[in-house]
Amino acid sequence: MKKFLIIPTSIDLVRIAPDKIVYIASDGNYSTLVQADNEVRMLSYQLGQIESMMSKQLGNDGNTFIRIGKSLIINRAYIYYINIPKQKLILSDASSISHTVTASKEALKQLKELLEKEVK
Amino acid sequence: MRENKEIRDDQIRIIGKEENKIPRYAYMLIGGLIILGMVIIAALIYAISNRADEVSRIEEVEPALFEKVCVTDTVRNKITWSNVDSTIAGYTEIRDTVINDIPLKLYIPHNAQMSLHVGAIDKSDTTIVYAAQAADVRADNGNIVGAFVLAGEPLAWGLSKKGYCASINGNVTIGVAENSPLFEEATKQKGYFFRQYPLVSNGKLIDNEPKGKSIRRGICEQEGRVFMVETVTRESFHDFAQALVDLSIDNAIYLVGSSAYGWAVDEAGTKHEFGKDNYYTGRRKMPKSISYLVWRNVN
Repeated sequence: MKKFLIIPTSIDLVRIAPDKIVYIASDGNYSTLVQADNEVRMLSYQLGQIESMMSKQLGNDGNTFIRIGKSLIINRAYIYYINIPKQKLILSDASSISHTVTASKEALKQLKELLEKEVK
Repeated sequence: MRENKEIRDDQIRIIGKEENKIPRYAYMLIGGLIILGMVIIAALIYAISNRADEVSRIEEVEPALFEKVCVTDTVRNKITWSNVDSTIAGYTEIRDTVINDIPLKLYIPHNAQMSLHVGAIDKSDTTIVYAAQAADVRADNGNIVGAFVLAGEPLAWGLSKKGYCASINGNVTIGVAENSPLFEEATKQKGYFFRQYPLVSNGKLIDNEPKGKSIRRGICEQEGRVFMVETVTRESFHDFAQALVDLSIDNAIYLVGSSAYGWAVDEAGTKHEFGKDNYYTGRRKMPKSISYLVWRNVN
């Protein structure tokens, strides 16, 4: 059965398939969810709380997501381009989705090494 | 909501890939259970092997129903007495036997007369063919426990033990009674009298309070014949008395057992010592009222 990430609040609820999440960025006490349909949704949770929900609800399926530093959770399925010196990460499906985010050089370096390791 | 552990900006973390899902205490619990299991298995193996040994031992010892019971010829039989020339020198006939799996030594004096002795005994006295400690002495003051008559002289008058043994004009009497006229008789006839724990009275076992195990000694009478018995192994009062009953002894009282020193001289003149000769050395002072039952050569 396909798993969904469910993010409830006191007045609403978001139910979304993991593969439809491109990334989630921290926005202070809130988080911004960027979907594969380019929709952007603000969530009234801190990024760490979202990460906990993912881990709890998705279990091992949650490993498609990678926390990068304090302010970013990305879906590895959308990693398209990493540039360490420019601290640039492009998340794209090479079709209709393309989002550029920034991260620390060290974090991007580790991400690059992780992906390299997975293909060996 | 509880958040995941902190992360720095220069770090990444794969979500859902928990590094240590099982808490440490769970590992400790699992380890403890494994150790407990091993201990239980070891205990079971030990118990089973012991049980097997016990079963095999029981099977070896216990006779089957209706099978002839293999016992020594003395059990439920009178002791076969030796015919001894009454003109030869006195000695102690030493026999080994087993009653109820209890190895016993019988010391049967021949051409000897019983008396008592108080104080350190002369080990070089060649007239003695058997000697063993007779009455108990009190630990606090060293006095004799129970009534005691030495060559007609009363040395003690207590009645802490109901067994008695009297030797008057060469006649030895063993019995159980709170009051015995033999005490008075011994004083009049320059005889001997002492008290000890009763073991057998008219062929019936008498239980005593001390419950420990030790080398046991007793002076016994069977149809007027008097002799001494000693266990080779440490036994309880009850088992010792039961063995005497099964030896068809009519009356018996206790002699000081354990490491109490004594000896017997056999027909060949060989001295057989028992107990500890050097018990009263160093800080152990010999009680002034230590008493010995002595059989002396009458020829």
